[in-house]
Amino acid sequence: MATSETIDRSPTLRRVESVPPDATVRHIDQLEEPTLAWFLETLESGATPTVDAPGLEDGEIIVFTACYRFELS
Amino acid sequence: MTEYVIIGDGISGSSAAETLREEDPDANITIITDEGEPLYNRILIKEHAKGKLPEAPISIHDEDWYAEREIELSLNTHVTTIDSEEKIVRIHEGEDIPYDKLLIATGGTPTQLPVPNSDAEGIHHFWTFQDARAIRESAEAADDAVVVGAGLLGIDFAAVCGAQGVEGKYLMRGDRWWRYALSADGAEIMHNGMRDVGVEPVFDSGVDHFETDDDGQVAAAVDPNGERYECDFAGVAIGLTFNTEFLYGTDLEMENGIVVDEYMETNLEDVYAAGDITRFYDVLLGEQAQNGSWGSAKEQGRVAATNMAADAQSEEFQWVSSYSITHFDFPFLSFGHPTLGDEHAERRYSDTEWRRVAFKDGKIVGGVLIGDLSPQSTFKKLMRQQRDVADQAELLLEQSVDMDKLAPAQEQ
Ligand SMILES: Cc1cc2nc3c(=O)[nH]c(=O)nc-3n(C[C@H](O)[C@H](O)[C@H](O)COP(=O)(O)OP(=O)(O)OC[C@H]3O[C@@H](n4cnc5c(N)ncnc54)[C@H](O)[C@@H]3O)c2cc1C
Repeated sequence: MATSETIDRSPTLRRVESVPPDATVRHIDQLEEPTLAWFLETLESGATPTVDAPGLEDGEIIVFTACYRFELS
Repeated sequence: MTEYVIIGDGISGSSAAETLREEDPDANITIITDEGEPLYNRILIKEHAKGKLPEAPISIHDEDWYAEREIELSLNTHVTTIDSEEKIVRIHEGEDIPYDKLLIATGGTPTQLPVPNSDAEGIHHFWTFQDARAIRESAEAADDAVVVGAGLLGIDFAAVCGAQGVEGKYLMRGDRWWRYALSADGAEIMHNGMRDVGVEPVFDSGVDHFETDDDGQVAAAVDPNGERYECDFAGVAIGLTFNTEFLYGTDLEMENGIVVDEYMETNLEDVYAAGDITRFYDVLLGEQAQNGSWGSAKEQGRVAATNMAADAQSEEFQWVSSYSITHFDFPFLSFGHPTLGDEHAERRYSDTEWRRVAFKDGKIVGGVLIGDLSPQSTFKKLMRQQRDVADQAELLLEQSVDMDKLAPAQEQ
């Protein structure tokens, strides 16, 4: 059985309307290839992905057509 | 102990400094910049100008970052020349800086429009964080704007106008935005994106001269047809002039940028170059090329530093660059060299989806994706593999590109 930690830490992208001054922010063009592919796929499918998100840190904001916060919920 | 000197603390220079420290822990590393702040995120300053991002997240390194790595950082220091015989870098004031190995990573400066009053108050160019602060302030106070330069940087000005509620006229020389890479179909999607944010594209136009008021503030742009567009803000992005004037007295090979091989070596011994300023040998394209993108500049800095530290041609630069526009409801991504190539294939899928793939000698060399970016990793992979796929263009234009449907590489 999965531990609560693995259940709790499924990655999501949440659209945010404002960016706080202490946020870590990257532009989409700064993402490495696997991260970029994951990001685009996740946004496209709208679903919570089952695979681990590579190369993103909890709370990090990615600037794309809107700002998206990566969350390990 | 090796003395490394890097001119320019943009992403290419800074990434080189980081790599040099990792590869050569005992070396002396000096990084010189004429800007007043250490590395910041140049590709996010547009979001600051739009009013969407505060200043703090745009900074990448503070001065402590350099101190912790024992990298000597010289801010506000302009390099006036280099002497490659004496192996010395000369700066505008202060002592000469000797080097064993030198990296030139000085990027470019936006080109000014060669028309009357192009230096008036309220006319902006966009390269530095300081520019972004001034653009934001000016746009916040403006009602009407004119944008000039129908390319990747000009559109950032259009987006600033949109985000700051300034009514904009985007004056373009030809019949569409980025005419070197987009057909009328692709460009139309971008024009609609501009209109949606309140910026009207004006075709077969441009600027003949600017008019100013008594205080020297821009008041209008007049196009070559005599049309007058009132404005209290203007954004000019007609191209980059590479920062090479301090090298004119040297024997460095230059051709609208510094010529380097795939190892980032110039024609002068122990002198390397990286980032926007290079005209590098592109191993995938099989000819000299130029990139103007963040990822490419970062990688060139890393590769240059690896070879500098190894004192050998230990790694070549092999990269497919990409550049996105994220200002509209739909995304846009240009990859590789979309304006090069000898043939191309393209398709429009909907009002916001379009794709173009450029081929040279049967191989993909670049392209543009609007709306649906999902095939980007497949196209980049095919470029890296240098697969001959031009005769299978139909498959590449299918909405969802399936690598498995392509003829296997060995059968070609
Ligand atoms: C507004 C804007 C938006 C952009 N958007 C994107 C994007 O969305 N995606 C993308 O991939 N790319 C984008 N780019 C391009 C990207 O920022 C550049 O390709 C990249 O930053 C180039 O890095 P570099 O290190 O080669 O040069 P630069 O960042 O230009 O750094 C060169 C440094 O050298 C300094 N210098 C120059 N001459 C001297 C001298 N004589 N002495 C001392 N110092 C000197 C300069 O002041 C500068 O600090 C954008 C650029 C701008 C301006």
